[in-house]
Amino acid sequence: MHPVDTMGQSRDGAAYGFAFLDEDAKRELRRAIFKAVCIPGHQVPYASREMPIARGFGTGGMQLTLALLGPDDTCKVIDQGADDSVNAANIRAFFALTCPGVTGTLRTEAASVIQTRHRIPELPLRADQILVFQVPYPDPLVVVEPNAAKRRRMHGRADYARLWVKLYEDMVAFDEITISHRYPTRINGHYIIDPSPIPRFDVPKLHQADCLYLFGAGREKRIYAVPPHTDAIPITFNDVTFAVESFRDKATGKRHVCRRCGADDSFLDEFPDNDGARVFQCSDAAWCDMRLDRLEAAE
Amino acid sequence: MAYVAIRGGADAIEGSARLMDALRAMGASAPLELDQIERQMPLLHSRVLSEGSLYHPRLASLALKQSLGDSLEAAFFLRAYRSTKPRLGETAPHDTRTMRVVRRVSAAFKDIPGGQMLGATPDYLHRLFRFDLMDEDAGRFDQIARDWFGNRPKAEAPLTFPKVLDTLRAEGLLAPLAQSDESPFDITREPLIFPVPRSAQLATMARGETGGLLALAYSNMRGYGDVHPTVGELRVGYVPVMVPHPVTGKPMEAGEVLVTECEIVAMFEKTDSGAPVFTLGYGACFGHNEVKAIAMAVLDRAISVAREKGRVANPSEDPEFVLLHVDGIESMGFCTHYKMPHYVTFQSDMDRLRAARTKAGEAADAPR
Amino acid sequence: MSVLDLPRLWRPETHQALFRRILDVAARPGRIADLTDLLDDRPAALAALATFCDNTQTLADPTGALSDSDRAFLDVRTAPVEQAGFILARGADAPRFTPRLGTLDAPEGGALIVVMVDSVTDGAPLTLTGPGIASQACLAPGGLAPDWLEARARWCADFPMGVDLVLADQTRIAVLPRTTHIEGA
Repeated sequence: MHPVDTMGQSRDGAAYGFAFLDEDAKRELRRAIFKAVCIPGHQVPYASREMPIARGFGTGGMQLTLALLGPDDTCKVIDQGADDSVNAANIRAFFALTCPGVTGTLRTEAASVIQTRHRIPELPLRADQILVFQVPYPDPLVVVEPNAAKRRRMHGRADYARLWVKLYEDMVAFDEITISHRYPTRINGHYIIDPSPIPRFDVPKLHQADCLYLFGAGREKRIYAVPPHTDAIPITFNDVTFAVESFRDKATGKRHVCRRCGADDSFLDEFPDNDGARVFQCSDAAWCDMRLDRLEAAE
Repeated sequence: MAYVAIRGGADAIEGSARLMDALRAMGASAPLELDQIERQMPLLHSRVLSEGSLYHPRLASLALKQSLGDSLEAAFFLRAYRSTKPRLGETAPHDTRTMRVVRRVSAAFKDIPGGQMLGATPDYLHRLFRFDLMDEDAGRFDQIARDWFGNRPKAEAPLTFPKVLDTLRAEGLLAPLAQSDESPFDITREPLIFPVPRSAQLATMARGETGGLLALAYSNMRGYGDVHPTVGELRVGYVPVMVPHPVTGKPMEAGEVLVTECEIVAMFEKTDSGAPVFTLGYGACFGHNEVKAIAMAVLDRAISVAREKGRVANPSEDPEFVLLHVDGIESMGFCTHYKMPHYVTFQSDMDRLRAARTKAGEAADAPR
Repeated sequence: MSVLDLPRLWRPETHQALFRRILDVAARPGRIADLTDLLDDRPAALAALATFCDNTQTLADPTGALSDSDRAFLDVRTAPVEQAGFILARGADAPRFTPRLGTLDAPEGGALIVVMVDSVTDGAPLTLTGPGIASQACLAPGGLAPDWLEARARWCADFPMGVDLVLADQTRIAVLPRTTHIEGA
């Protein structure tokens, strides 16, 4: 039981409303979301209210979720693929506190709104689900152009030549494209987005999906969207295939599997256990649980 | 082998909250009263008011109490609370000549109309410990108050004072105040997309974090810039807040807020008429915070100089560099976020590094 | 009037529910949203405006479709039709204006036009393709003058600039984002 299980009200009437934000803030967010969906991949600026959770901890994602949620929603929050990661637990507790009536869930299939940091769930999402991403850096051009006005111009004209040059320089130096997460991805043939720090493994899930993807950067004050059934293509060269993380063991050549459910096709967390051995486990905890349930049911 | 999945994030957070509370309550000291914070740490309290950007003295005290004295956290509490408050209306610009002054000095002149009023300041006190303060009792407070009120000087000082810079304006040494009907840029309703008008520059700095503003201003003062400021006037006092009456529209005094204001006079420049004038830098904030007001005035001038000359010679003159990095809530939040789990992105980085190492022909990482 | 006494259309919880339905059909052009249970017999076009408008926004109502009371509740500032962020128009009348189209740097400045039609389903079928649509979708608005489609094509010819339309009959809406391609239009 959280020590602060009710925010209460001060003697002079200081108090908070449903979903924390005032109606002006929600309306502004909703206008920005609408425009973002109408202009896929374009970073729509918004004022971005301060939240009781620090900048950098998902205030952009939270503002989107708070603008969306109603009492008949079911909400899931994950960080690094896990519901119980400290950041996700904290945000989920905030939603429970400020959105009475909204149901919380750990199961991907039960959620109408999912807020995520750094992963897309393994289970393909449906048309009635919205995935909200927490975004630290909304602009993929920031690595090649520090000036914001110039970046806006480049985006408007879909002039991404300098990004291609950066990738080319990578290839020359390392014989590899070294971008690991935040892989630049072209939406609907125009805007290139930073899909947030999801691994390359998750980028293909953005392409022609059934669900709506919304991206919120709180500190940087931008919102963007990838609508369902929209092209989302990671940028690369004609003769260089886009490659996802392989999880292939160097010595044996075999793909690592989850030690818990045996999955050989999910994104894995790799960490040293107490004996110093390296172990691998599904990053998406709900996916792993679901697979285990199915395996048990099958026995 | 059965594996128990690691759970406990929520439990850890709850435990953390309880421990924070326990740390406060441990030991023999009595719970802090909000009044003690406001009265006996007014300068820390002022920092929170101005960086939180909401003039609510009681909540500023509560913020310091709840955050265990962390001024960045406390300002954050106030700012987050403020962000939910509905916008009821806007006032006309306020003239700080109406300020009920408690301190007012000028470095530009030996004496000024109304006089140099030192007020309560540590500036000329010795930073030597008064060890008798280690054991103070309430009786001592009564004595101090009686001494002060019993021995008040007979001559009454005026409540308001003219502006020192009006003297310079009258002589034509400072450009006349430009009248403007422009609405100020509202930084709480629109993000900063550069170039931004001066009102956005001033508003951002008015709620900026004191240390951040100080560091950038200091870089300019030390020599990276050439503002070479003289404090034309620094004043601290209570400005009456005039709010339009909801029915008649007539301005009514709704209360007063403590404000620190600093006007610096800097290097002169040519005007269109050919005769050169001094240039002005302006700083102001809620509460009593002189370092912040002076730093803000120096940065205001530095950024304006760069805009006028069309070139940026150092970071303190670059509006993007200054304005995007002085907000304490944003900077502290992002700094703190690095402690959050980043292991999926790290996993992705390891994949890339291993691939690159393979390509470089290094010996394979042998599995243990 | 306390928030509890507000007519349904102006309550915060109604706006949240309206927004979710509008978002769903904006993300999936061709889909229709039925707003009947939220409207209390007010027009769907008004509900669409109520979801997004407040005193920071500008609205043009060239045909005077809004009552004084509705305008007061919307609390929106009036602007000429070429400058307004929101426009309320009649589908029966050919548009004789050029709305805000946004800029290359700020395409979100393009106007949101709420077009009142007789029906979102009883007219000549249009074939739609583009983001949000699996292969193709159909929309058949009745009471939409053909000039609207031609004007929209002109306004949206230079992506990312353009306008976004909300078609509204008495109880239902459909959305045509600027990215939706209408065959033959």
